Amino acid sequence: MTTALRRILFWGFVTLTALFLLVPTLIIVPMSFSTTPQLEFPPVGFTLDWYGKVLTDTAWLAALKNSLLIGSATAILATTLGTAAALALSAAEFRGKGVILALLLAPMVTPVIVLGVGIYMVFARWGLSGTLPGMVAAHTVLAIPFVVVSVMASLKMVNANLAMASAGLGAGRWFTFRRVTLPLILPGVTSGAVFAFITSWDEVVVAIFVANTETRTVPIMIWNQVRTNLDPATAAVGALLIVLSAIGVMLSYKFKETR
Amino acid sequence: MGNRSARPLLSRVPAALWLLIPVLLFVAVFFLYPLLRLLMVSVPGGSFQFYEQILTSPVFLRVIGETFQTSLVVMLVTVLIAFPYAYAMANCSRTTLLLLTIALLIPFWVSLLLRSFSWIVLLQNSGLVNDMLRGLGLIDRPLRLIRTPLGVAIGMVHVLLPYAVLPLYTILKKIDMRLMEASSICGASWFHGFRRVYLPMTLPGIAAAAILTFTLSLGFYITPALLGSPRDMMIAQMIAGQIQEQLNFGLGAALAVVLIALTATAFGLFGLLQMVFARRQAKREQTA
Repeated sequence: MTTALRRILFWGFVTLTALFLLVPTLIIVPMSFSTTPQLEFPPVGFTLDWYGKVLTDTAWLAALKNSLLIGSATAILATTLGTAAALALSAAEFRGKGVILALLLAPMVTPVIVLGVGIYMVFARWGLSGTLPGMVAAHTVLAIPFVVVSVMASLKMVNANLAMASAGLGAGRWFTFRRVTLPLILPGVTSGAVFAFITSWDEVVVAIFVANTETRTVPIMIWNQVRTNLDPATAAVGALLIVLSAIGVMLSYKFKETR
Repeated sequence: MGNRSARPLLSRVPAALWLLIPVLLFVAVFFLYPLLRLLMVSVPGGSFQFYEQILTSPVFLRVIGETFQTSLVVMLVTVLIAFPYAYAMANCSRTTLLLLTIALLIPFWVSLLLRSFSWIVLLQNSGLVNDMLRGLGLIDRPLRLIRTPLGVAIGMVHVLLPYAVLPLYTILKKIDMRLMEASSICGASWFHGFRRVYLPMTLPGIAAAAILTFTLSLGFYITPALLGSPRDMMIAQMIAGQIQEQLNFGLGAALAVVLIALTATAFGLFGLLQMVFARRQAKREQTA
């Protein structure tokens, strides 16, 4: 095989892979403009009706409100707990540190279905099934690892002498944290918070087991829709979500760059 | 003031560690306890009847076998596709790297649910894939892609590709390409150089990508539920079915424990592999 032929085959394969990655993700957007009531690709005609339909539908709007509420609460709770943990783990060397870190990161590698079923069983006994606090607690468990990883990474780059200098100058612990450490690790904390929000925003498996009709989120609405009837209204929701997560990604990368 | 005697004891604990208490409590209540509860529910009154049922019934063994088989195939295909992609990312211009990264990260950030949804549209009988195959004259009648193991595999490979490309890329970009030039100057063909010089250096990356895709595959629920048929169910669907439809909590819990055990075994294997690679690396550096 000549070098030229090999190059053509190689780059052809890579281009096809890139298309394989992108096309099924992006076709959701054009599908949402289709005038036909069945989902087709390529779409037929052009209309914004599906967006109007979705944005005035009380069920979708209620789900959107739940998603935003649960996502924000998860981001706040996971960021607080995760940042505290990252500070402690970075500040001191002690026995069992590796075990604690592994425990905090474990939800990331646990099959979500297992966690969903486990939480379903205990929440039924605790009266947390179908409640907003229940949803927030379940999503926070899934989001904590992302905050811990993100904050620990930015703490690695902070000079520990700065906190010592602040203490040496007579500042208390809380003052040092608020005025010295926190501003330095803020990019890591913020991108951790964005990750935590998106984790909750996209989560469906655990939500299936915890939510009821009043606390269902946008992903659960999509899940129900996809299993019953495929219509361009769902594609319109998908397109809106893609735009929102694009904004989220850009925000989190911006924070990373300023680091 | 009354607890003066307790103070010296408490002050021995580094102050920072108090920060760990809230998160540890939270994880214990909402993560460890639910898993413990599953374990307890799976052995009612200390009886292993549900595990016996799983290990003796052809239905459950079939589902476990199917899950293993699907995960293995998906892992192989994903790593095979990911390798050239990661290689391209590691050896290209800045602009191409940016494009390849964007193509990789956009699907990574779009919910898996939405991507399964568009695969349903693409793979259905009147979908784009069938239309294209018909247009090319490759088939006369629409191919059944949706509700088949093939459809599930396509959707899973699509979800898992970024997870395989990223660890591979981390390793591949560190490899000094002058080694390949050296091997070609020494008279080795491209293929020989690739197989004997380049490939051995990529093994840690391949192992990481393979284990990550395999373990994630084992627990897949959404993609097989939307793109597959109930006949070739994966273990996660079986768990959900036992809990939500059959209301057989004990059996569902036992299946969940089996899934966790399988995942843990795969990760343990990964740790072992990494140790082997690290030791080999150390040996090579000693002899060098």
